[in-house]
Amino acid sequence: MELWGRMLWTLLSGPGRRGGTWGWAFSSWQPHSPLAGLSSATELVSHWTGVFEKRGIPEARESSECIVAHVLGAKTFQSLKPILRTQPLTPQQLKCIQELSSHRLQRMPLQYVLGEWDFRGLNLKMVPPVFIPRPETEELVEWVLEEVARRSHTVGVQGSPLILEVGCGSGAISLSLLSELPQSRVIAVDKEAAAISLTRENAQRLQLQDRIWIVPLDVTLEGSWTHLLPWGPVDLVISNPPYVFHQDMEQLAPEIRSYEDPEALDGGEEGMDVITHILTLAPQLLKDFGSIYLEVDPRHPELVSSWLQSHPDLYLHLVAVRRDFCGRPRFLHIQQSGP
Amino acid sequence: MRPWRLWAAARCLWARPAVGPARRPLSCGSPQLEELFSSGGPLRTFLERQAGSEAQLQVRRPELVTVAKRLSEKEQELRETEHLLHDKNEDLRKLAENEITLCQKEITQLKHQIILLLVPSEETDENDLILEVTAGVGGQEAMLFTSEIFEMYQQYAAFKRWNFETLEYFPSETGGLRHASASIGGSEAYKHMKFEGGVHRVQRVPKTEKQGRIHTSTMTVAILPQPTEINLVINPKDLRIDTKRASGAGGQHVNKTDSAVRIVHLPTGVVSECQQERSQLKNREMAMKKLRAKLYSMHLEEETSKRYNARKIQVGTKGRSEKIRTYNFPQNRVTDHRINKSLHDLETFMQGDYLLDELVQSLKDYADYESLVEIISQKV
Repeated sequence: MELWGRMLWTLLSGPGRRGGTWGWAFSSWQPHSPLAGLSSATELVSHWTGVFEKRGIPEARESSECIVAHVLGAKTFQSLKPILRTQPLTPQQLKCIQELSSHRLQRMPLQYVLGEWDFRGLNLKMVPPVFIPRPETEELVEWVLEEVARRSHTVGVQGSPLILEVGCGSGAISLSLLSELPQSRVIAVDKEAAAISLTRENAQRLQLQDRIWIVPLDVTLEGSWTHLLPWGPVDLVISNPPYVFHQDMEQLAPEIRSYEDPEALDGGEEGMDVITHILTLAPQLLKDFGSIYLEVDPRHPELVSSWLQSHPDLYLHLVAVRRDFCGRPRFLHIQQSGP
Repeated sequence: MRPWRLWAAARCLWARPAVGPARRPLSCGSPQLEELFSSGGPLRTFLERQAGSEAQLQVRRPELVTVAKRLSEKEQELRETEHLLHDKNEDLRKLAENEITLCQKEITQLKHQIILLLVPSEETDENDLILEVTAGVGGQEAMLFTSEIFEMYQQYAAFKRWNFETLEYFPSETGGLRHASASIGGSEAYKHMKFEGGVHRVQRVPKTEKQGRIHTSTMTVAILPQPTEINLVINPKDLRIDTKRASGAGGQHVNKTDSAVRIVHLPTGVVSECQQERSQLKNREMAMKKLRAKLYSMHLEEETSKRYNARKIQVGTKGRSEKIRTYNFPQNRVTDHRINKSLHDLETFMQGDYLLDELVQSLKDYADYESLVEIISQKV
């Protein structure tokens, strides 16, 4: 019994980061394994929580709950039907949980492990190394939606803005705006091919492909913005640009450092590299009194404000700073006053 | 006289239905309401007084007076037509029968209109609501029953074409349910659901019971109306929102997947949590919905309990401790103790469609009746 218990443990916990290949674990997995039928969802969650904790995987319980729920067709363990919590799992389901958990053991972010995550009301496909949207960014979109609603209310303008997103990644910002502003159109640009194709795929999954133009473009290259001119002036520019200070990059968690594209995170010495490019090109593309909305580091509001003061030729003004749900100054609204 | 006795008496006297099966959708179809309309009854006196005040140019309810007048005209017409039923001419008799059916239909409609005019609609009737279920005494069996009741209301929402969104769900180890809540929205959702709040009791042999003994277990349902933006304004400064991201740099520096949200309303200490969704913003919206409903209920409580004080059918916290309904499986019946109504075929009832709807309708009728009795006794 004890021997069997130990074998079981080895089989379930799998090889660690050091050594061992998955081929071994899977090839020894028999469909009629006596494990099948023994484990309910609840038991599996506590098992994998234990394994993750032992290996020092962060968010051990959240990770195991999400993986088990995902395999059983639910988004969170909370929302799993009671009957599914106690029912024995099929060998295929057990194998699937085993496989996903092994990825998590390698510190792969849970969103990549599952291959999907939710942003606002949308379910988005997630593929490494495309940047995983953070919950703060849900609030950036919220702010823009509020402003668009307020403007169409006071000015009487129809809610049909043309929006440019710089660095669209998985498409989270653009696609939420499109789904919540049915009259809007979006130009989404990113310099990474993986991001371009993921945004395209997510747009198709959500059937929003007709109102979005997805353009491979590097805003840091001289004159690149001229490619955007044919679409005409835009009402607003929105971006969650890379804003991590270069020296902070080393301190990021392994999930971020080893899996996410550093290009989507590293903002240079003061995290301002891409921000200043956006601010430089925006006046060429914005309509008069158009707006720029940015997510930034809490140190940036001050840096951006003084940078704008030293570039009066851009006619851009920092009009509002908003705090995120943790109280950090996180979002900027910059407006063009027109030359 | 206690209202239920009045109703019991009416039930005995009122053997012959006036209109037949077509009556169902109208709320004056219930016997106790019919009783109020009987000639010489208190409602008649009340309506006559209203008409009388019109003569004295003190019209407070002109529409009511008009409808009441049309009602007595129609009833007169009905009595006259009924004589023709004994006519020798068969064609004439048939004609009279048709005429009578039409007349009765119109009378029912007029009575319904009078009830609508008299019974004050509540501020919250059109609102969405939060449904809360909590297992009571009876251990695992109570939790199993709680899960079945939650399912029943989910199906009822589908039957009524309302939307149903689970806000939290805390299961037991054996597939039961400790506590859950859901947001239900749609046409007159609160108006229909408001009388479901209270203690529901189940009597049956639990699946786990080896000796075949019948157990009695309970669960509690709470129904909280959701306030509209105008009904309730919360100062954002009064809220503390807790998430798992509170420490550190946040933003791009962190990738945490725990999206649970907890909101505390500082002045009252009311807490609301949600971890149903992967999106933190969604969780926050749901927690906020629940918090608003809780605060709104507290705000309404005083007013509501005053209004319902003397009634058998209670809403709000006062009604929450009352045993309102028994689900007796061995006898295959469900009984609502407030109106002493029993329905058979429990399995169908628990599917949350037309049988539950029938009971909900009866409760609404009875509440209308109590409300009418109250109004009449104030004015007569």
